[in-house]
Amino acid sequence: MSAAAPAEPLLVATGVHKSFGPTPALRGASLAVDAGEVVAVMGPSGSGKSTLLHCVAGVIRPDDGVVGYRGRDLVLMSDRERSALRRGEFGFVFQFGQLVPELTCLENVALPLRLNGMRWAEAGRRAADWLARLEVADVAGQRPGEVSGGQGQRVAVARALVTEPRVLFADEPTGALDSLNGERVMRLLIGMARDRGVAVVLVTHEPRVAAYADREVVVRDGRTRDLAVAA
Amino acid sequence: MTRFWRDLALGVRLATSGGREGRLRLLLTAVGVGLGVVLLIAATAMPAAVDSRRLRMEAAELGQSAEPPARSAHTLLVQRWQTEFRERSVFGLVVEPEGPAAPVPPGLTALPRPGEMFVSPALRRLLDSPEGALLRPRLPYQVVGVIGEDGLSGPSEHRLYIGGSGLAAADDAERITHFGNPGHEPPFRPIQLLLILIIFVVLLLPIAVFIVAAVRFGGEQRDRRLAALRLAGADARMTQRIAAGEVLAATGLGLLLGLLLFFGARPWIDHVSAYGFDAFGSDLRPSPLLLAALLVAVPATAVGVALLAMRRVVVEPLGVVRRAAARRRRLWWRLVAPAAGLALVYPLAGQAAGATGEIDELRVAAGAAALLIGVTALLPWLVEAVVRRLGRGPVAWQLAVRRLQADSGTSARVVNGMAVAVAGAIALQMLYSAAQVQDAVRTGQDPRRAQALVSGFAATPEVVPSLAVVRGVRAAAAVTTTMARPAGEPATGGGPDQPMVVYQVGVGDCASLAELAELDRCADGDVFRTTGAPDAAVPPPGTRLAFGIQPEETVHWTVPADAPEVPARIDPTGNHTRGVLLTPAAAAAAGLPPVLRYDMTTVYLQLDPAEPDAIEHVRNTVLASWPHGRVQQLRETAETERFTVIRRALSAGALVVLGLIGVSMVVAMLEQLHERRRLLAVLAAFGTRRATLAWSVLWQTAIPVLLGLVLAVLTGVGLGVLLLRMTGTTVHLDWSSVGGMAAAGAGLILLVTALTMPALWRLMRADGLRTE
Repeated sequence: MSAAAPAEPLLVATGVHKSFGPTPALRGASLAVDAGEVVAVMGPSGSGKSTLLHCVAGVIRPDDGVVGYRGRDLVLMSDRERSALRRGEFGFVFQFGQLVPELTCLENVALPLRLNGMRWAEAGRRAADWLARLEVADVAGQRPGEVSGGQGQRVAVARALVTEPRVLFADEPTGALDSLNGERVMRLLIGMARDRGVAVVLVTHEPRVAAYADREVVVRDGRTRDLAVAA
Repeated sequence: MTRFWRDLALGVRLATSGGREGRLRLLLTAVGVGLGVVLLIAATAMPAAVDSRRLRMEAAELGQSAEPPARSAHTLLVQRWQTEFRERSVFGLVVEPEGPAAPVPPGLTALPRPGEMFVSPALRRLLDSPEGALLRPRLPYQVVGVIGEDGLSGPSEHRLYIGGSGLAAADDAERITHFGNPGHEPPFRPIQLLLILIIFVVLLLPIAVFIVAAVRFGGEQRDRRLAALRLAGADARMTQRIAAGEVLAATGLGLLLGLLLFFGARPWIDHVSAYGFDAFGSDLRPSPLLLAALLVAVPATAVGVALLAMRRVVVEPLGVVRRAAARRRRLWWRLVAPAAGLALVYPLAGQAAGATGEIDELRVAAGAAALLIGVTALLPWLVEAVVRRLGRGPVAWQLAVRRLQADSGTSARVVNGMAVAVAGAIALQMLYSAAQVQDAVRTGQDPRRAQALVSGFAATPEVVPSLAVVRGVRAAAAVTTTMARPAGEPATGGGPDQPMVVYQVGVGDCASLAELAELDRCADGDVFRTTGAPDAAVPPPGTRLAFGIQPEETVHWTVPADAPEVPARIDPTGNHTRGVLLTPAAAAAAGLPPVLRYDMTTVYLQLDPAEPDAIEHVRNTVLASWPHGRVQQLRETAETERFTVIRRALSAGALVVLGLIGVSMVVAMLEQLHERRRLLAVLAAFGTRRATLAWSVLWQTAIPVLLGLVLAVLTGVGLGVLLLRMTGTTVHLDWSSVGGMAAAGAGLILLVTALTMPALWRLMRADGLRTE
């Protein structure tokens, strides 16, 4: 009986470089995320952690390096292919501005499903289900401007998970919330992700938030360093 | 008072020190206001431009003298010269001085010598162009100079002065002592005046609406900035004064930009020309009074608008709360302007004044303006009321509808200008069509039978065969017409009590005579007597006729007793030839050819529609071979020149206004996209297709524009009906103008969407997430 070969990481980035004009943001950063794993990307402001997230999520194309997802190199994909991948396999939660202010919370959550071509009735049903799981069913008919920051962020988490993604990218998801609301959002986000085996790439500079992760990756001056998290 | 100025100054400082973004917004507003101001200044310059044009036209007229002047050192012989070239009129004078002090036409430094000519700049360009090759054979003279501006009505005029000789012998030459005929141009008729007044209302209102929209550019940012000031302790009045200062800064900059643009560009503009309506750059002299009024009215209106908008916005220390967002727009006060307009215009519609009667122009203009202003008041309410009821649809539709439900005011404000322009233009087109019908002269010509006519005296025998082979001529029918009197009657008549009896006699081959009479059968040598023509004087069979004036060349001929009677037929020019018709052999047998040599020959030409320059080839041939021949294109109706000018002015104005509205819509859309760049980047991050957002932008533009068009069509048609009833004209809906305007609106939607796409693509790039 031979030992099982180690599973391939779900998402792997190697030697990623990215500059904005003359300013280098990433200088050979690397990251690997297994299926169902929660990885916290930490670092001071301007260290390049958000840029790393954007690169591994296929939002922006790195100048150099490889970003592999289930055997495919995101760097070589066309914009259209990367958009389709993000629509179907990835979910996103940001600190600000992620909800469309004119749509109700229910419509916001249903939006990714509708972008994938799902009919409104089914999309609305699933969105309502997710709002209930995130404990914000009562704000379904309200617009983002009419709900609290914590409620809005839970709506954003519902929207990120409604498509049943394989990877959830969260960029400072609690950055605009007080500690109590931040805790609640993180508990729900990580709980839902673990229940469904969704991998999470969590960008944060708060150790309290990073504590929800299985592993930490520190970004400093555009380079990464892996740290194990004590259980 | 000091505090007042201090607050204003703070507003100015805030407007000018908002970083790159703030400066961009200030510039956008200033450019918007500046563009509007340029057009308004141009409008204030229109009276002077029209007047200058009229004065120059009068100055170039032939001077009238109480008595025909005798030949002297101060006289000039002139002969009018005119031709048409591809729908352009090329005209002028052949001049021959009779002495060293002969008058020189305005715009010329000297009179041209025989074989020389002075031409206008437009004619010179035409002659020098490849297109002019077809015209050059008609003008085999050496160009020795260019006519100056003071000798031309406008820069597009194709005028010339040719040096001639031997004009004293020409029948159509005139002797003059000076140029200039003041007061020659007739005044406008009431219906024409009404058209012009409403054109001004229609064109100026959208510009005003545009300026109002421009001062609201960046309104949301400004509201947030003012909220921050409230947080720092500014009270509501202070905040309003600061807001006024911000608007004044942008408007002042816009005014300055407009003035610089107008006066700076004017010396470099040799002419402005659109749709054939043209003026020299130097003609654009704004009236000082109107200019001063403009300099006061624009900032005052801008501040008024900003303060009015702020009445609906409570600037709170912790943010901006829009009262209007929670409260629906009310309809009642929006009906005041259209109701007032209707009250002013409707009673006049009952008492049709007719085209020649009196019209209370001021009241009509005020009524039309009120009705059109009503459109601007009603449209925001209409857009809000309709979008509130719009349901779900595809994602793009949903995004657009929800955005409009959240804030329809911005879109409605921008579309307002277009709605006013379209409503006014439809009303004007209806009025214009009716006026055109009233004013169009039915020529009676039948262009289905012949498309051109060449006529003149003393055609040589070679003329007709040479015309028949001109490129593009399918057939030529020629008739020479002469006069005959009963033999024995004196050639000059028997005095006042005994008017001279004359008969018309036409000579042509059978095919040509068939244009003048219904001929069942015809052979060379036949003679016919026509019947059925009004006032027909037809010599009875056996009448002996005398041809020619001088006794020594008089020819006598007797109408054959068996000459058949044939019904007269209206010829392609709309005239009857009554009397006797002879075929060439019959005329030769009668000994007429020597007499006919100097008579009027008319050639009806059928042209090949596939050869658009056929008429130009005919003109060239005629000028070379038949000096007395005149070429005329046959048309069913002829418009008067003045209506053509008004129509062109309307088209040019509407085009400028639509362009301006397009700019305004693009700026507003770009601003909205810019403010939502973070959201767009987020939408792009989770995989939203570009097409989805592009459709969303299209719907967001299309819904208010379509509603604006519906309201504009209803108002325009209503106003048009009222104006038509006022002028006593049959009400007729001009569907082509309604369709044209609707198409222009649709084109605008597509254009605005297309122009905003590059910005949308750029803002959808994930770089926007970096601001997180």
